[in-house]
Amino acid sequence: MLPEGSIAASHLWKRFRADKRHRVLREQVAKVSDRLRGRRRGWRWALRDVDLHVEPGEAVGLMGPNGSGKSTLLKILTRVMYPYAGRLEVSGRVGALIEVRAGIHPQLTGRENAFLYGSLLGLNRRQVQQRFDEIVAFAQLEDAIDRQTKFYSSGMQMRLGFSVAAFLEPDILLVDEILAVGDSSFQQRCLERMSAALAEGVSLVFVSHDLAAIEAVTTRGVLLDQGRVRMDGPVRDVLNHYRQSVEEVAELQTVESVVKLVDALVAGSDGRTVRTQEEALISLTLDSPGQHAGSICLGLSEGTATPIVLLRFDANLPPGPTEVRCRLPRLPLPRGRYYLWVAFVRRRAELLPWHPAAHFDVIGPDLDSAPLGIMRLSPVHVDAHWELGRS
Amino acid sequence: MAGVVDEQADAPPEDLLFRRRVQPLAVLKELWQARELARTLAERELRARYKQTFLGFAWAVITPVMLMIVFTLFFDKVANIDTGGAPYPLFSYVGLLPWTFFSSSVSSASQSLVSNMSLLNKVYCPREVFPMGSILVAGLDTVIATGVLGLLFAVTQYAPRITSVYVPILLAVQLCFTLGVALLAAIATVYIRDLRQSLPMFLQLGLFATPVAFGLEEIPASLRPLYAVLNPLGPVIDGYRDTVLLGQAPDWGLLGLGAASSLVLLLGGYTLFKRLETGIADVA
Repeated sequence: MLPEGSIAASHLWKRFRADKRHRVLREQVAKVSDRLRGRRRGWRWALRDVDLHVEPGEAVGLMGPNGSGKSTLLKILTRVMYPYAGRLEVSGRVGALIEVRAGIHPQLTGRENAFLYGSLLGLNRRQVQQRFDEIVAFAQLEDAIDRQTKFYSSGMQMRLGFSVAAFLEPDILLVDEILAVGDSSFQQRCLERMSAALAEGVSLVFVSHDLAAIEAVTTRGVLLDQGRVRMDGPVRDVLNHYRQSVEEVAELQTVESVVKLVDALVAGSDGRTVRTQEEALISLTLDSPGQHAGSICLGLSEGTATPIVLLRFDANLPPGPTEVRCRLPRLPLPRGRYYLWVAFVRRRAELLPWHPAAHFDVIGPDLDSAPLGIMRLSPVHVDAHWELGRS
Repeated sequence: MAGVVDEQADAPPEDLLFRRRVQPLAVLKELWQARELARTLAERELRARYKQTFLGFAWAVITPVMLMIVFTLFFDKVANIDTGGAPYPLFSYVGLLPWTFFSSSVSSASQSLVSNMSLLNKVYCPREVFPMGSILVAGLDTVIATGVLGLLFAVTQYAPRITSVYVPILLAVQLCFTLGVALLAAIATVYIRDLRQSLPMFLQLGLFATPVAFGLEEIPASLRPLYAVLNPLGPVIDGYRDTVLLGQAPDWGLLGLGAASSLVLLLGGYTLFKRLETGIADVA
């Protein structure tokens, strides 16, 4: 027997029909006639030989592109879905947040739903009753708990779902991309609650495309790609590997445009290495077919997500190639890989659409992490001078 | 840093293939642990119905009473049915109670998995609690509808007989059969969605293929054993009439056949359910 809160999955395989249709009678008939004609219908592998071992209290971040098998794996760990092959042992109570509003019955009140979900997790009435006030307080539904959930907003339903799952003391918490809903203060409290659960010894498997959230909450990363485990290790290493592999795919698009971007480069003062809190030079070459007045927009982003820095400069481009240089005296970015985004716009017209045009690495110190890791990592590095003295 | 896995074989080795083993003891233990859930599900269904409908629990009584009135007006007057001396309204109502229980159990059990897909995709639990919850609800309805039976006895000035003590045996056979069919209907509807449309029709036909409006005597004596095997509700309903209304023991031979067939159906249906439940999430 494994200790409570551990997962031992080895050699998991799972397949689905390649053409996913409901198995209605019509399809059964089609299947029989296909088989008579000697045609085999295809299967698509969703998981191939996946191993995942989680120790009690461990926090694992599961990442990978869409369709890589993350959700399928999570469903198998919940034992909602069964593998085609492999061995799986999950010990302890599993609390899963897989679909945000799934399982909330619209006709019932918030209170009745909490008890229903509790009994699904295998708790009896008294056990739910003991934690009920905490659940309501966390979900901030004091006024609405006796109202039918069909009158809840989607945010309220999500808060109820998360609170119930998180407070009914599971040994293992499986969370799939739930932070997409809910306002940012609730997202923050979810992260805090997950960290608190971790501190209590709950094991966590966390699936998200929000890499910053994964980095903040988990310690170990598992990268899935096309149903295989590509990498399993410390979350930072896996995240770096994943970001690079994403970049290879999304590498520096060339776009159709009126104004052409011929060249884009970010360099340090020595013309090569970019360093934190030192001078950085961005140089572009734009080729315009005619006289165009507009704004040059520059952005710096981590990975391919939202820009951390945005810059705008109004310029009048003459016909032919123009060299644009932008000097940043002290670059506030910590160590990592970044993207340079470029656009040239005139009012509503995108003469050069907003797109990632180059990437660069910054050398410098690591960011300090927040105490207890309850916050997302901050994106900028600010030079600071500290003093301690007797007052 | 851990190693990167390279491409391997394109199919799992045979010995790793997942096979569902149905171990009766483990299944029963799991079911016992989920008893709270079955109760909550039944409660949820009742509450939802109570909130949605105006007449609420009255529907439990309305359906069998209406059918009884219709049967009394038509069959009793037109077909001249041999009730063995009992008033026809009582005769048909005693048949309608187990039939209504069976038909509403099966029809709501067949929806129970399909309509709870979102829940099934989220949490693990033994899946049979969903059809069982439906049966609990139908059972409660039947208890309420049985209250009307007392009223009928009073109105028709007819008293139940002492042989009513045999009722628990009949009830056991009835439950066995109903549960077996309900489990099969629930899991079959997941895979063959056409059942959702066609099941009500089959249940309609079943009402007339079962001795509800008429007695088991209408079936030729030579065919009765075969009939008891195919439709155990036949000897069960006949047994209720014999014991409660006529003061006789049930026809043990026919009832035994019905009981044996119900038991086989329940065991087979339950096993099939447990085997097929592994694919529910794939179909959804």
